[in-house]
Amino acid sequence: MRGMQLSLNKTQKLRLERALEQLESLSSKSNSDASVTIADNISVNCEDAILKGHGTTELDGHVVATLCGVVERVNKLVYVRALRARYKPEIGDIIVGRVIEVAPKRWRLEINFSQDAVLMLSSMNLPDGIQRRRTAIDELNMRSIFEENDVICAEVRGFQHDGCLHLQARSQKYGKLERGQLLTITPYLVKKRKQHFHYLEQYGIDLILGCNGYVWVGEHVEVKDPMLVEDQLNKSEQPIADSENSMSSADEVDTCTPLETRQNICRTANAIRVLSTLGFVVTVEVILAVVNLSMSLSLDIHEMLGPEFYVLVAEKEAERRSSLGKKR
Amino acid sequence: MVGLSLGEKNFIKGGIAQDIRTDGRKRLTYRPIFVETGVIPQASGSARVKMGATDVIASVKGRGGEELSVELSTALQRCLLGGKSGAGAGIDLSSLSIVEGKVCWDIYIDGLVVSSDGNLLDALGAAVKAALSNTAIPKVEVTANASSEEQPEVDVSDEEFLQFDTTGVPVIITLTKVGSHYIVDATPEEESQMSSAVSISVNSQGRICGLTKRGGAGLDPSIILDMISVAKHVSDQLFNKLDSEIAAAEACDDE
Repeated sequence: MRGMQLSLNKTQKLRLERALEQLESLSSKSNSDASVTIADNISVNCEDAILKGHGTTELDGHVVATLCGVVERVNKLVYVRALRARYKPEIGDIIVGRVIEVAPKRWRLEINFSQDAVLMLSSMNLPDGIQRRRTAIDELNMRSIFEENDVICAEVRGFQHDGCLHLQARSQKYGKLERGQLLTITPYLVKKRKQHFHYLEQYGIDLILGCNGYVWVGEHVEVKDPMLVEDQLNKSEQPIADSENSMSSADEVDTCTPLETRQNICRTANAIRVLSTLGFVVTVEVILAVVNLSMSLSLDIHEMLGPEFYVLVAEKEAERRSSLGKKR
Repeated sequence: MVGLSLGEKNFIKGGIAQDIRTDGRKRLTYRPIFVETGVIPQASGSARVKMGATDVIASVKGRGGEELSVELSTALQRCLLGGKSGAGAGIDLSSLSIVEGKVCWDIYIDGLVVSSDGNLLDALGAAVKAALSNTAIPKVEVTANASSEEQPEVDVSDEEFLQFDTTGVPVIITLTKVGSHYIVDATPEEESQMSSAVSISVNSQGRICGLTKRGGAGLDPSIILDMISVAKHVSDQLFNKLDSEIAAAEACDDE
């Protein structure tokens, strides 16, 4: 278990190992012979014309793996997909990143990838919402939209010919993220799904699972039409803010997150930390299950990071997956 | 350390004000402490302490050593050794003497930071305490018929050891002031928001052995006195926790 800093006593270690073994046995039923290590022979039908993809090489007439991973076959292409790879961006991915530089007509974001991503000024909605050509004045006012160290949610628009990643944030649901915390988990634990934005109603929090391994847990922000922003600003007690309107951030400094929402945010964040240390895939259902488990045991929030809860989560997950398997 | 956006900074400050930090701890709660003793076999005593992702190793040797970083070493020195005259020192130096006035053991304590996730001084203090409790000083036989001017002959035994008495060794508690509240065991994000931090070393009788202040903001004297009383209160829990962890680690070691 990478990064496990916990001292488990003997019974806890046994229980954890048993739960992990159960999970392994459940998962490897489908393609146990597909996992390879370096220099393993990949079984190919020698008569077919096979395209050797990433992670393979030809050695002595055999196709041999050069990575530790799982063999994937797509028509005539055979390649090895590494398990613990760096984040691999695809067009349409939802990403959470941090601004590290404000450059001419663009922002540079750090997204847990080998290069920094670029968000062009033209790919971003202007604060007044009008669609127009960006002028020099807009360029000078870029800092009023996003500053250094801001956390931003955006979508991958495409790659440039030099491999640089371009993002776009043209929709209302993208933009600056405030009033919450950013967590870093390994990218392969976030699988590509239809929905990456989740609003957990019963807790009143927003959960954004970035495909690059950055997860944002924060207070719920209503996505508002810019036209109605004027009325909202007049009611300054409300902590709800338009995601693109940064003018009201000065007022928000004084309005604090309500205690219950903060507790829910911390509980969800701890659930994600536990899941990421255990190496389980992070989805909304699993996170909600862990949070419900901690609430049903009425655990103190910081006790969720103690050894007993880790073991309980592993056991619960093993149970859940075995019950899923039985239903099919 | 990665920068933090304004929204995240406000979230951290708000959390500390409401007594719920980002991982759900209260202001005066420590992260789980994990102690391992005997990690360096060549040293007389050693210990590894993990607090969250902060990882430090302390080793105690009867000879030789390397350099510590200046700030940490002066802070540790002040906290452990007391004033120049040796009064109020944490370690009882008289247990180190072999022949009164002539020969004694020199203890060199080295600390190594393996990874830092905030709160280095506390972890180092705990590691030093654990390493000292793991230290075994070889027993020395002095030949009795040496005259008073010559160097007495000593025979260092390889089998018999004396355990170091660490009940007097203090533990270091760092209180970080964020806004108008204090927290113990700050993570790097919380440390970046601090206005000042005071590290206090308290021994098991509740007496202050050393004091160090970091950070640019000035502090009112009444606040320092308040922080000292909070540190004394927290030290009780920390002593119990550390003693039980050290005992568990020693028991594991013996097996």
